[in-house]
Amino acid sequence: MQQLDIPKKKPSFMRTIAAAPHIVWAVMFIVLPLIVVVWYAFTDAEGHVSFENIAGLSDYADTFLLSLELSVIATFVCLLIGYPLAYMMARAPKHRQKFLVMLLMLPMWTNLLIRTYSIMAILDDGGFLNTLLGTDLHIIGTKGAVIFGMVYDFLPYMVLPIYTCISKIDRHMWEAAEDLGCTPFQVIRKVILPLSTSGVVSGVTMVLVPSISTFYISQKLGGGTFELIGDTIERQFVSGALNTGAAISFIMMLLILLSLAIMNRFTDADEGGVIV
Amino acid sequence: MAKLIELKGLSKSFDGEKVLNAIDLYIRDGEFITLLGPSGCGKTTMLRIIGGFETADEGRLLFEGTDIGHVPAYKRHINTVFQKYALFPHLNVYENIAFPLRLKKVKEDDIQQRVTDMLKMVALSGFENKSVSTLSGGQQQRVAIARALISHPRVLLLDEPLGALDLKLRKDMQNELKTIQKAIGITFIYVTHDQEEALSMSDTVVVMADGEIQQIGTPTDIYNEPKNAFVADFIGESNIVDGIMLEDKKVKFSSHIFDCVDGGFAKNEAVDVVVRPEDVDVVEPSRGMLTGQVTSVTFKGVHYEIIVDIGGFKWMIQSTDYVAPDAYIGLYIEPDAIHIMKKSKYSGKFGDYSSFSDELDRLSDAELAEEF
Amino acid sequence: MKKHLSRIYMCLIFGILYIPILTLILFSFNATNSTAVFTGFSFRWYAELFASPDTFLALSNTLILAICSATLSTVIGTAACEGIYRMRRLPAKLLNSVTNIPMMNPDIVTGMSMMLCFVAFVGVLQIDYEQFGFFAMLIAHTTFCLPYVILSVMPRRNELGKTYSEAAMDLGCTPLQSFFKVELPNLMPGILSGFVMAFTLSLDDFVISYFVGSSSFQTLPLLIYSMTKKKVKPDMYALSTLIIVTVFLLLLLSNIRSSKKLRKGGGRS
Repeated sequence: MQQLDIPKKKPSFMRTIAAAPHIVWAVMFIVLPLIVVVWYAFTDAEGHVSFENIAGLSDYADTFLLSLELSVIATFVCLLIGYPLAYMMARAPKHRQKFLVMLLMLPMWTNLLIRTYSIMAILDDGGFLNTLLGTDLHIIGTKGAVIFGMVYDFLPYMVLPIYTCISKIDRHMWEAAEDLGCTPFQVIRKVILPLSTSGVVSGVTMVLVPSISTFYISQKLGGGTFELIGDTIERQFVSGALNTGAAISFIMMLLILLSLAIMNRFTDADEGGVIV
Repeated sequence: MAKLIELKGLSKSFDGEKVLNAIDLYIRDGEFITLLGPSGCGKTTMLRIIGGFETADEGRLLFEGTDIGHVPAYKRHINTVFQKYALFPHLNVYENIAFPLRLKKVKEDDIQQRVTDMLKMVALSGFENKSVSTLSGGQQQRVAIARALISHPRVLLLDEPLGALDLKLRKDMQNELKTIQKAIGITFIYVTHDQEEALSMSDTVVVMADGEIQQIGTPTDIYNEPKNAFVADFIGESNIVDGIMLEDKKVKFSSHIFDCVDGGFAKNEAVDVVVRPEDVDVVEPSRGMLTGQVTSVTFKGVHYEIIVDIGGFKWMIQSTDYVAPDAYIGLYIEPDAIHIMKKSKYSGKFGDYSSFSDELDRLSDAELAEEF
Repeated sequence: MKKHLSRIYMCLIFGILYIPILTLILFSFNATNSTAVFTGFSFRWYAELFASPDTFLALSNTLILAICSATLSTVIGTAACEGIYRMRRLPAKLLNSVTNIPMMNPDIVTGMSMMLCFVAFVGVLQIDYEQFGFFAMLIAHTTFCLPYVILSVMPRRNELGKTYSEAAMDLGCTPLQSFFKVELPNLMPGILSGFVMAFTLSLDDFVISYFVGSSSFQTLPLLIYSMTKKKVKPDMYALSTLIIVTVFLLLLLSNIRSSKKLRKGGGRS
C-alpha cells in the first residue's frame, strides 16, 4: 500500500487546525469502533469480561484454514494469469493501452454481487453452460467453483497495480538491460520483475484480503457446502451472536494487518503500487 | 584505422516526418567521434539506430562489413551510456556493474576482479555496496560508464551523458572520458548539442542539422573551414556576410575587395564569407579596410565584445583593447582570416548580430538543454 | 509470432472476464423468466423493473448517499491534507496510518466494527436504530471514502509546496484567502478525482452497507442482494444491465475527456 510522502515542516497552528475535523472523525469512527470490537470480543452477552469467545475460536480453526487455502490458491492463480496480462498491456502501443485499461476497469466497477451471480447462473446445474453444452456438469458447490469466482471477481485488482508499476518503469531501463546483453526473457526476469515487486505486493494484498474475507462468493458458488470465515462472521451477525462475531473479526484483523506489515517489509512501501 | 561501423543511405521517419535523410558515414576503429547538432537534428535517432533501439526505414548499417540492421541490441558489441543513466534501482553499485557479466555466467572471482578494476578506473573504489539512488549525478554517471564498459564492447555510445551535470563537473568529466577512451582504445560515439564539448573531446566531429550531415572533420577543420553558414554559426561566433568571388583569392564584400586564400570558385560567384570575431583587428578609421560605428561594448573578462555597424550589417569583434561606444573605428582583416563558403540553404539565416544579445543567446541555450 | 501470442492471450482473458457480463445482458432481454435458455427478445423485465417502486427508492437512496458521503469525505479529506501537510512528520504519519485502516482492513471487519459501534451509540442516545439508518450509512461510507480522497489530494498538496501560499500572503492575502484563492484552484484536479473515487466507491459498496444498514434505508447493492437471496427473475438482470451500461458510459466519458486534455496538452511530437 502506498505511503504518503510527508515533508518535514515546522507546524503552523492556523493551518494544522484544518486537520481537526478529520482527526475527530478518525477517532470517533475508526479508532472507537475498533475498541468496541475488542471490547465485544472480550465480553459475554451480559457485558461481563470473558475469554470464552476467544477460547471458543478453536472451533473455527478448520474454517480459517479452508478460507486461507482457497484464497491463497485464488491469489496465486490471479498472479499467474494477471502478471503476463499486465506486462502485455504495458507493452502495448500507447493508444491501445488506454482502451485496455478501460476494458479492465469496466468489470471492476461492475458490482461484485452482479458478477458473482452471473457466474453462478452460468455454471449452475441447469444453467447456461450446461444448457449450451447439453451436459450435466456439477460445478457449483466445488472448491474449484469458489476459487474460480474469487479469481474472476478479483483479477482486475491484481492486474491494475502491476500494470501501473510496469508502465512506470523508464523506457531506458528496458533498453539498458537489452543493451547490456539481456535476451527479451532475461529483461523480464532480471529487471522488470524485480522493479515491479511493489505492484505485485499491492496486487496480492488487493486480491488476498477480499477473497479471504468474502461471504457472498462462497454463498453463491459454494452452494452451501462451504463455510468460509466470512460466512461465519455473517452468520453470527444475522443470528445476533455479536460477541463471537467480534472475536472472529478481531483475530482476522490482527492476522491480516500482521501479514500486511510483513509483506511491506519486502518492498519499499513508498514507490509504486497505486490503489485504484 | 579500419572502418568499424558504416552507415549507408540511412533514413528514418517518425509519423511521416523525416528525422534522418540518407545518412552516409563511416566510423573508424578506436576513434572518438561526436555527433553535434541542435535539438531535433536527428543525432540521437542515429545513435539509437546504431545501438539497436530503432530500425532504419531505409539504408544499411554495417559493423565490420556485415549488416547488423536487424540484430537485436543484446547481440551487438555496442553498449550505451544513457542520458539519464538508467541504472537499475533494485541493484547496488557493484551489482549494476556486474550485471552484464552475470548474464554471461562469468566466474564469481573473475567478476569481482573486473568490477574492482572498473571501479578503480572510474574512481569509485569503496562504493560497491552503495545504493545507486544515494549517488550524486556525477557518480551515477561513472557507474553507468563502468557498467557499459565492463563487458568489453567494441563501441561505446554516449547520449548527452553530461547534460545533467553542472558546468564544473562537466569539464572534469570531459577530461575523464577522454582519458578513459585513450586508455581502453575503443570507439566512442558521443552525442551532444554543446559545441565546446564536441571540439575539446573529439577526434572527429559530425555536424548535423535537419536530419542531414552538414560537415565531417577534425575539430580544427570544422572551426577553421566551416562548409556552410549553419556550421559556421553553430560552431563558435561568426560574422557571415554576402560576397562575390571576383577571381581566385579575390573576394568582394561590404563594398570592399579583399585578398583571401581560398579559390576554386566560378568567376563572380555569389558566396558566403565568414570572419571570426577574434580575427578582426581594430584600427584607426583611416587605416581600416572597413569603417563603422560602435553600437555596443561588453566586457567579457578576456576581451571586449564589440558590435560595429558597417553599412547596416552588424559585425561582432572581440578585442582586448577598449573602444568607446559610438566611436568610429576601422577594421583590418588578414587574408587568412577570411573563409569563403559556397551558398547553401542556410545562407542569410545566420551571422548577423543586429538582434544579438547575450541574454537571448543564453535563453535559447537553456531551451535547447531543456528539450533533452 | 510473439505479438500474436500476446494478442491471443489478452483476447482469451478479456473474453473470460466479459462472458458473464454479456450473458447477463443477453438474458435481461429474455422473454421467459429462465436465465439459462434464451427464448425470445423482450423488454418485459425492464417494464417490470420500472413498475416496481422499490427500484426507484433504492436508486434515489443510493445516489443521495453517494453524493452526501462523497461531498463530506472530500471536504474533510481536503482540509485534512492541508493540516497534515503542516504537521510534524511523526503525528502526520500516525494520522495517515489510522486513516488507512479502513482501506487495509477487510470490508467485513470494518462493517462489523462500525455496526457494533453504532449499536453502542444508539444504546447511549436512546434512539431507534431504524431512524438512524441514513446517518449510520453516511458515516460508514464517509469513513471508508476518506483514505481514498486523501490519497488523491495529498500528492498534489505536497507537489504544490509552500511557495504559492507564501507568495499569496506576501501580496496581501490572509491565510484563509490564500487557501481559497491560490491553493484550492491548484488542488482541484486531485480533489475532483478524489470526489469521483469516493462517489463510485459509495455506489458500489455492499459489504459495509450490509452490516451497517437497516431496512429503513435500502440501496441498490442491498436490493440486488435481497433479490439474489430468492430465486432470481431476470428483472435483477435488467437492473444489473442498466448499472453496467451506466458504468460503461461514465468510463467512456471520463476517457474521452482525459484523452482530449492529453491532445490539448501534448504540443511537441
